[in-house]
Amino acid sequence: MDLFRKGHDVYNQPVLEGISWDLLPVAVGVGLVVIVAHLIYKLVRGKSGAK
Amino acid sequence: MAQVAERVFVRDEAPPGDRVVRHAGIDRLFHWLTAAAVLTLMATGLLPVLGVKFDWVVIHWVVGVVLVLLTLFHIVRALFWQKPKCMYALSGDELAGRKVTKYTVAQKLMHHAMTVMILAAVITGCFMLLKMDTPLWKRDPYVLSQATWGVIYVIHGAAATLAITLVMVHVYFAIIPEKRMYLRAMIKGWLTREEVEEHHTAPRADKKT
Repeated sequence: MDLFRKGHDVYNQPVLEGISWDLLPVAVGVGLVVIVAHLIYKLVRGKSGAK
Repeated sequence: MAQVAERVFVRDEAPPGDRVVRHAGIDRLFHWLTAAAVLTLMATGLLPVLGVKFDWVVIHWVVGVVLVLLTLFHIVRALFWQKPKCMYALSGDELAGRKVTKYTVAQKLMHHAMTVMILAAVITGCFMLLKMDTPLWKRDPYVLSQATWGVIYVIHGAAATLAITLVMVHVYFAIIPEKRMYLRAMIKGWLTREEVEEHHTAPRADKKT
């Protein structure tokens, strides 16, 4: 997976065009991981707190 | 379940004498206008990448200018009318859980992350406005080198990508039942005295290690 989008200028030299759009699903995935991790933490803490 | 219902519904009817102001009306208006601007910018900036074609450019830069103005307003208000330290300072006692001030450690960290994301997007966005025809100036794409434009696009794109994660996490923590009092505070402006004593009284004897 590329981190950056690259292209070429009029002299055919490589230029940076921006961040790779492949990272968008990664951003969604990181958000989901944080949310699921917190839900699991709540579940575990809730069970241990109920004892 | 009953506790959740009480927190969401019954406490919403707390008598005025039992309410502690958390956010002034002007700050709540700022928050929701910023939220609307950020969501609009994300939609207009990212939907075309996902293949949804529409005339997004004008909406994007106009709302971007609105976000710049909102950011400037917030900086001035925070510096001269509020106490910036209560949001930015993180003491050892807070990190250890022995003390909770107006904002929790998680709320401060979220604010820091949002600050980085919005400042990165706003500053690079201002440069990108130079490539747009606006009522005030004609576009000049040659004001910076192509390599510098590449760096600006990378930072702007990174801010947009970070925004996805931050918005997801922010919305999640806003709507979960045990934190919903903060959502109410951002809508109606207040917490109950009981909520303040339960979550924001320092030092917290029950958290001593």
